[in-house]
Amino acid sequence: MSYFETAWLPALLLPFLIVGNTGLTQAQAPPAEIAWALHSEPKTLDPAKVDDQSSEMVRYLTGGVLLRVNRQTLQTESALAERWLISKDGRLITFRLRKDLHFSDGSSLTERDVVASLRRVLDPATAAPVREEFLEPQSVTVGSSEPLVVQVHLAKRIVALEKIFDEIAIEPAVHFGDSSVTAGPFHVTLLKRGDYVMLQRNAYYWRKDATGHPMPYLNTVRLDTVSNREIERVRFLSGQYQLIDHVAPEDFDGIAGKSVAMHDYGPSLNTEQMWFNQAPSAPIPAYEKSWFTNRSFRLAISLAIRRADLARIAYKGHATPAYGFISPANRAWHNANIPITQENTQQALQLLQSAGFHLSGEHLLDHEGHSVHFSILTNAGNLAREKMAELIKQDLRAIGIEVNVVRLDFPALIERLMHTQAYEAALLGLSNVDPDPNAMINVWLSSSPNHQWNPSEKTPATDWEAEIDRLMLAQAATQNAQERKRCIDRLQQIVADQQPFIYLVHPNLLYATSMSLEGTQLSVLQPGVVSAIDSMRRKDGGR
Amino acid sequence: MKKALSLALLSIFALTASMILLSHRSSGFQDREAISAPASVQHWAGTDDLGRDRAARLASAFLLGLVGAACASAITAAISILVGVGTAFARPRVSRFLLYGSDVFLGLPWLFLLMLVRSMLPLNLPSHLSAAVTVALLASLGWPIYVRSLYARATSLRRADWLLQARANGLSAWRIGTSQVLPHVRPLYLTQFLLGIPAFIIAEANLGSLGLGVSEPLVSWGSLLQELGSSAQLGTTHWVYLPLALLVAILLCIELCIPED
Repeated sequence: MSYFETAWLPALLLPFLIVGNTGLTQAQAPPAEIAWALHSEPKTLDPAKVDDQSSEMVRYLTGGVLLRVNRQTLQTESALAERWLISKDGRLITFRLRKDLHFSDGSSLTERDVVASLRRVLDPATAAPVREEFLEPQSVTVGSSEPLVVQVHLAKRIVALEKIFDEIAIEPAVHFGDSSVTAGPFHVTLLKRGDYVMLQRNAYYWRKDATGHPMPYLNTVRLDTVSNREIERVRFLSGQYQLIDHVAPEDFDGIAGKSVAMHDYGPSLNTEQMWFNQAPSAPIPAYEKSWFTNRSFRLAISLAIRRADLARIAYKGHATPAYGFISPANRAWHNANIPITQENTQQALQLLQSAGFHLSGEHLLDHEGHSVHFSILTNAGNLAREKMAELIKQDLRAIGIEVNVVRLDFPALIERLMHTQAYEAALLGLSNVDPDPNAMINVWLSSSPNHQWNPSEKTPATDWEAEIDRLMLAQAATQNAQERKRCIDRLQQIVADQQPFIYLVHPNLLYATSMSLEGTQLSVLQPGVVSAIDSMRRKDGGR
Repeated sequence: MKKALSLALLSIFALTASMILLSHRSSGFQDREAISAPASVQHWAGTDDLGRDRAARLASAFLLGLVGAACASAITAAISILVGVGTAFARPRVSRFLLYGSDVFLGLPWLFLLMLVRSMLPLNLPSHLSAAVTVALLASLGWPIYVRSLYARATSLRRADWLLQARANGLSAWRIGTSQVLPHVRPLYLTQFLLGIPAFIIAEANLGSLGLGVSEPLVSWGSLLQELGSSAQLGTTHWVYLPLALLVAILLCIELCIPED
């Protein structure tokens, strides 16, 4: 019997095995009024230890916070704290809690719980990621001088202090760490690892709508762990899910149906960019380092890249060409005065000539006769990035540069970028969850290990990097909004002039919602489509 | 008759592929005004989502895949003959070591080795060298599959009267191996060589879909089949199924070339 003859039986059974095991239909998950997919399993339900997107989603839905950043207006609003006051020197913030607050189990929420929650976050033993945002957390003290009042004393002024409290969930002083007893709109009732998280409405939630009706309107929420976007798409179209948070651009136009609404919300805060390795210790030839540290070379590369094609082809039109690190969606900080670099191959060649390069036939050579040829690393499996790398390859061929696109799995990629520095150019993205540029300070400070083109510099390698350091530190030290804007505007100008990162696109925010949902408000900030979860409801009563 | 037809069909595919490559643009050129375009005079099988000519890419993948798989299969057959037949004629201790060693080799998770090798390769490795490395890796990992069957056949030959006669006549081990034993195992390794070709084509296609294997601008079956991974793409044109259809046809043709006895 040949292998073909023996192969037909497994081939016949294969479709059934696939259908049975991919979970295209879900028979066992409990029903919920609204459900959607998380693309990875939440690593923790402890709101103090949240460090990944899925866990952040659970915290947003369950955590009661003192202050909430309105995802639509970007303004800080009162939540559990009825009002708050920051002292003139910026080192004392005083919260006054609302009266008659309760947790989801009916127990009272008092200043004692707030103090305990804040102290837990500041405790180094908790290893809370948000702790570092207090700059000198070991010097921060939390106390309560009277009922319903909580005071936080800081060692030094912190930029955008209020926003930090949007990330700190207040938990009962006697019950930490599992989001089962919360002060937010929902609380966790069931966790099935690798499968789903069930949330139940918090009957004691403090917020009411304009008519006095208690919120949230939804009774149950189910968050399924589904990394396969095909499964997510099928379940959404079949009605098992009521929304897709972050639709992939290649799927956007294909998800169609009478009862769905597709939303392209415009550019996100995120960026996709490529950069060259400028680290002096990088194990690459010296002549390559001389290319990458040459401003004209980087500018020429930027001029040769057709960003409109990247947005149109790699993102199917669902991206916006990027020329800086602040997205135009970030209206508060975007510097609209910086001229956009239109692609211009001739100008790119002129710049290269001025830098000592010349064309020999179809190949670009440097002044020593080396053919300009380098590799671009990107992570395997990210379809949009792989396409962008291929498109850039053809763009650079037009100026005589040969590019080798190398796709690596993420751990191998990070190993090269962060540890061995054994790479020439890289193409990756940066996810900006906070519109305030201060959140990116670790990318711009030259001494930072995240200063990707030349990490952990002992002293700034160039004058412009030294100026970037001064600007970032200056904006972090002042509360004057205009002064901060001036610093960030200047930073954007330097980045445009020097191109340490060659920004490519801002991916657009793509969502899909069921027509059975109402009260949805989209946002550029996480958690995007469910940012107004309090006011969302099912038109069809959850059926 | 079936064998002749299959060979004829494979020859036609090869000729057509060669003509396409000679008459068309490079398989990597992006026609940005014709993204996911349908079939036309300029693009006989349409274009993919980067505007690359699908027919040219298919032709490139077919020729590279066939030649690469044949080379890998030949190397695998050679190594497995060496180890399988050598084990049959080696001393018992050496024989046991080689057999158990090949069994253990077969059971190891080699996908991680492939990932490791890929991450260690120079970043500027030319694509033709990446293809050669892929062939060499597949060949070096595929040989244990055939060792046991060759060993069993060679062991039965070892006890044959004519072999004892040859030894008694003073023929050297090398002469015995090449002129006496190999012809007797030829049907076996020839079949295994032919069986190995489709297996290596599929293996390379799997590697390509994981981002390992042959790198652009050379085209592999894996990179072509990646189009099938997106259900959104499946609905745009039926030409996306052409690589799969062609691959199945080629594998069937090769299968029909394998002798039944």
